[in-house]
Amino acid sequence: MTADAPPDAPPDATTPTPPLRFAVVHRTEYEYSSPMSDGYTVAHLLPRETPTQRVVSAAIEVDPEPDEFEEHTDVFGNRVVRLGVHRPHDRLVVTGRCMVDVDAAGGSAGLPSASATWERTAALLTSARGELADEVGRFAAHTTATPTLVSLDELVGDLYVPGTPILDVVRGLSTRIHREFVFDAEFSDVSTPIAAVFDARRGVCQDFAHLMIACLRSRGLAARYVSGYIETVPPPGQPKLTGSDASHAWCSVWVPDHGWVDADPTNDQVPPQRHVTVAWGRDYFDVTPVRGVVIGPAATQRLTVGVDVTSGDAT
Amino acid sequence: MLNDAAYHPQPGRYDEAIADDGTMRPAWAGVGSALADMRPIDLLDRQRQADRLLDAEGAGHLVHDLLPDDASGIVGSGGSSGSGGSGGSVADSRPWRLDPLPLVIAHDEFRQLTRAAAQRVRVLEAVLADLYGPRRLVRSGVLPAEVLFAIPSLRTTVATHAASRWLVHYAVDLVRLADGSWRVVQDSTDAPSGAGYAMMNRSVVARVMPDTVRRAGVAPVNGFAAVMRRALAAQSPVGRRSPRTVVLTGGPTHPTYVEHSYLAVQLGYHLAEGGDLVVRKNRVWMRALDGMEPVDVIYRRLEDAGLDPLDARTVGGAGIPGVTWAAQSGGVSLANAFGTRLAEEPALVPYLPAAAAELLGETLDLAALAPTDDPASAPCLSSWTPGALVPGTVVLRMHLAVTPDGVTAMDGGVGRVLAPGDDPRLPTARVVKDVWVVGGPAPTRLVTRSVQTRVDFGASVPKRAADALYWMGRAAERAEVVARTTRLVAAQVQQDPSLLSVAGGGWGTGAIALLRAAQGLSTSATDGRGPNGAAPLVDRVQHELQGGQQAVAAQLASLVHEAMTVREFLSTTTGRVLGRLARLRADLVSSLAAPDDLDVVLVDLAALAGLAMESTVRGPAWRFLDLARRLERALALLGSIEAALGIDTEPLALQPLAESLLAANESLVAYRRRYRSDVELGDVVDLLVHDDANPRSLAFQLDRLREHMASLAWQEGADLVQQASLGALTHVDDAVVGGRHMAVDALVLATRGPLLQLGDAVVRRWFADPVNPMMMGNS
Repeated sequence: MTADAPPDAPPDATTPTPPLRFAVVHRTEYEYSSPMSDGYTVAHLLPRETPTQRVVSAAIEVDPEPDEFEEHTDVFGNRVVRLGVHRPHDRLVVTGRCMVDVDAAGGSAGLPSASATWERTAALLTSARGELADEVGRFAAHTTATPTLVSLDELVGDLYVPGTPILDVVRGLSTRIHREFVFDAEFSDVSTPIAAVFDARRGVCQDFAHLMIACLRSRGLAARYVSGYIETVPPPGQPKLTGSDASHAWCSVWVPDHGWVDADPTNDQVPPQRHVTVAWGRDYFDVTPVRGVVIGPAATQRLTVGVDVTSGDAT
Repeated sequence: MLNDAAYHPQPGRYDEAIADDGTMRPAWAGVGSALADMRPIDLLDRQRQADRLLDAEGAGHLVHDLLPDDASGIVGSGGSSGSGGSGGSVADSRPWRLDPLPLVIAHDEFRQLTRAAAQRVRVLEAVLADLYGPRRLVRSGVLPAEVLFAIPSLRTTVATHAASRWLVHYAVDLVRLADGSWRVVQDSTDAPSGAGYAMMNRSVVARVMPDTVRRAGVAPVNGFAAVMRRALAAQSPVGRRSPRTVVLTGGPTHPTYVEHSYLAVQLGYHLAEGGDLVVRKNRVWMRALDGMEPVDVIYRRLEDAGLDPLDARTVGGAGIPGVTWAAQSGGVSLANAFGTRLAEEPALVPYLPAAAAELLGETLDLAALAPTDDPASAPCLSSWTPGALVPGTVVLRMHLAVTPDGVTAMDGGVGRVLAPGDDPRLPTARVVKDVWVVGGPAPTRLVTRSVQTRVDFGASVPKRAADALYWMGRAAERAEVVARTTRLVAAQVQQDPSLLSVAGGGWGTGAIALLRAAQGLSTSATDGRGPNGAAPLVDRVQHELQGGQQAVAAQLASLVHEAMTVREFLSTTTGRVLGRLARLRADLVSSLAAPDDLDVVLVDLAALAGLAMESTVRGPAWRFLDLARRLERALALLGSIEAALGIDTEPLALQPLAESLLAANESLVAYRRRYRSDVELGDVVDLLVHDDANPRSLAFQLDRLREHMASLAWQEGADLVQQASLGALTHVDDAVVGGRHMAVDALVLATRGPLLQLGDAVVRRWFADPVNPMMMGNS
C-alpha cells in the first residue's frame, strides 16, 4: 500500500457522501474423489487498503484446519496467504470474509475535469525515474495475458486522436469494449487467450479487463489489472440470491497529476460504482484469487465457488 | 595432419591452431605432434571408439530410445513379438558425437577468460539482487520497468524475494572472433548444463588419446566435482551442520537427464525426481524407504519454469508444490535460487554494461556477440569427408562455481561445433569437442580433506529408486530365463532334429511349454499349448523360439529403462554392461540376431548379476534388486517345473525333458556331477526344489528371501515366504515318492500362490505412494 501511495491522490476529505460499507463472503470448495495427502493453496482473498477503501476486517477460514498458514506481501503490495494441509483430506474449503468502507465516487465527481493528453502520459512514463518508473512504469509492460494485438489496436485506434485527454481515451475504451463484446460466461476460462476472445467478441470480466489493459499498454500507457468484487442488484421485485455475486475484475489507469483511475469495461463504468478492491497486478495471473495443487492418488475434483456481497452494515 | 597440407585454415581469419604465418600455435604443439603420426583413418577410429565409450558412459541416452517400448517391456508380459519398431540403432539416437580433436586453449588466455567470466558472475549476482530487491536499475533509468516486468521469468510472488545467494553454478558460452578477441554468446544462470558432459567427455578422450592427453599437459576437469560439492555445502541453510543434498532432475524425459544422472554419481548425491520430494511446513522431505528424510540443499537441474506448480507462471503441473515457499522462508536452499532464469534473459543483455557500471562501477570485460561479428575457426573433423580436417566455429562453454573461497572455474569445458548457418545459441550439429587448457602449472593432485561432515543419506533410498531397482532385478532375471531357455531349445533342436519326434512329439510339446513358461505365457492344455495348435510341431517350436527372442528384447528394454533411472546406485562397469545390453536388444528387435547371439546376452546378463553381487554395497538398494531376482527366479523355476513335469507330460518324454529342465535352470552339470547317472526324476526334483546348496533351487531362493525379509524387519513378507516354504515342503515328498507320476502341480500351486502375493505385497508396502500433483481448479 505505502509503495503506491505517492502517485495516488489522497482521498478528498471534503467529500460529503458517507462511505459505503460492503461485506463480502467468498467461498471456494474443492472436493476430490479420493483423499489427497497434501494440499497447497495460494490465496489473494484479503483486500488491500487503497486511497478510497479502508479495510474494517478481513480473515480467511480454512476447513479442514490447515497445518500451515502464512501471510506475505507480494511485489505489488497485495496480501498473499499460503496454506497447506498435510493429512488426508477429500475436501477443502477456503472462505475469505471481509468488510470494507469504500468512499462513494458518486459518478465522476472524484475525477478531475481535465487530464493530460494520452501522448503526454506515455512520454512521462518513458522518461520516468525513481518511484514513478518502478511503481507505475511496471504496469506499462505487456504480459502473455495482455499482448499487443494489431487487430485489437485497429478496433480502438480512432480513440487515440492526438491531443485527447487520457481520461477521455479511458472512457472511450470502456464504452467501445462494452459495446463490441458480449458477456458470455460459457465462452472463456482463465486459459483462453485474448486473441480468441477478440475474434469471438465474447468473454467475461477478466477478458475485458485484459483487453482494455492491452489496448492502453500498446500506446505506452500504464494500466493495472484489479481483482475484486461487485455488488449485484437483483431484478426489480426479486429477492437477492445467496452466492449469486461473483468475483469481478476491471482495470486501473495511471493519470498524471491525479493517480490511478479505475475503469470497468464490463459495466462501462468510469469510475466503478459498487466495487470492492482485493488486489492488483499486471494481469489475472498475478492475483488469482485461489490457486492450488494437491498431491494424492489419481482422482477427479469438483470446484464450487460462491460469492456474496452485501452493502450496508450487514454484519 | 595439422601442419601439413591436410588442413587449410580459412584465409584472413583467426585460426585456433595455426597462426597467420602458417606455424602452429604453441598451445597446440602437443596435439599437433600427436596428429603428425596419424592418418585420417586413425582419427576416424578414435571417433568410433569415442562413440562406443560415450554409449557406455552415458548409456542413459538410451532411455529416450527405449521409452516407446516401455509398455511392452513389462516383466511377465513376455512374448511381445509385435514390439518391433523402435529398432533405430543406438548411433541414430546418440545425442551428440565427440570430435576426438580437442579445442586447445593456452593457460594464460584461459585465466583471462576465467577472470572475465567471474566478473559476469559478480555482475549478474548484483543484477538479480537488485531486480528482486530495491530495483535501483529501474529507478535510475538504466532498465525500463516495462522491459523488466514484461519478462515472464520475473518472479513476483514475494516482495522481498531475496535469496542469500542467487548464483552458485554459472556457465557462459563464448566465441572467438576473427580478430582473436572473445565475445559472450549467452549466460546460463537457471540450471546450467554441460559440466557433467565436460567430465564425461574428458574421461572418454583420455581413453581414446591417452598419450596425447598426457604429453600435452592437459589440466584436469574432474576436480570440478569437488568444487561443486564445496559450493553446495556452503549453501546449507543456517544452523544445519550436516546438510543433506540432492540433485533434482526432471526425470528421464528431461533433455539433459543423462548429465543429471552422471553428476549425481560424480557428486555422490541422490538423484531425486519431483515426486521423490515433498514440502511440509517449509521443509523439504525425501520419500525414502524408511520414511521421510529431510533435505537441506537442492542442486536443481530442473529449470525455474518447471520448479513449483504453485508459482503463477509455472508451466503445467510439473515440479514440487511449495518448494519455492520453502526456499523463500529459508527452510531449504535451492542452487541456483528460484528466479535466476531472469539473469539469462536476452531482453536484459543490452542493459548489462550499464548495469555493471551502475551497480558495481565496473566495465564488463566481455562484450556480447553482435549479429555482424565474424567468428574464428578451429580444426574440426569434417562431417562430409571422412577423416578430413576442416575449419569450423566452436562455441566454448565454461563453468564456474561460487564457493566460500571465491569463484572457481572448471579448467576446461565443452566446445560445441556449429554447423554452417547455425545460431551460436542453438548449435544443430550435435558435435562437441573436449576443451584442453594447456601450459599451466603441472596439475597437483589435491588431497582435500572434507571440511564439512558429509552426510549422504547412508541407508536411505528414495522409494522410487527402490521401486526401479526392484523391477530392474525382476527384468534381469526374467531376461536371463527366457534367453537361456530359448537358447537351449534352439540348440537342442539344431543338434538333434529327431528330438521333435521323441515320444510321439512329447518332447517337442514339452519344449514349447518350457518356452512359453519362460515367457510368462499360459502353458495349460486347454489352449492347445499356444497358438497354431494344428501347425506342424517344428513350426510351432520355431514360432515360440521367435517369441522367446522378442521376449528377451522386451525384458532388456525394461531392464535398461529401469536401470537408467537409478544409475547412481550402479557401478561404472554396470553402466558399460547396460550399454552393451541395450545394443544387443536393438539387434534382437531388428531380427538381425542369430540364436547364438543369445549366448552373448547371457554372458552380459551374468556379468550384470555378478556385478550386483560383487560391486554393489549391501544396502537397501541392493536388497530390493536381489529380492526381486530371487522372487523372479523362484517363480520362473516353478513355471519350468510345471511345464516340463506337469500332469500333461507324455511319460516317454519325461527323460529328455527333465534334462532340458535341468539345463534351463543351469543345473544339468551339477546334476551329472552329483548323480553320475541317467536322469532320475526324483533326484531332479530334489536338486531343483529341495537342495539348498544349489543356487538355482527353490529352497535357495526362499532362504535368500527369508534373509531379506528379516533385514527389512517386515512381518507380512516373512509370513508369505514362510507359507511358500511350507508349500514346497509339504508337497515335495509326494512328488518324489510319486516317481513317474509326480504331483508337481500341487507343489507348484502351493508354492506359487504365496510368492505371487509377495510380489504384490512388496509393491504395496514399499513403493506405492500417491505422488502425482494435480492442479486445483482456479476460482
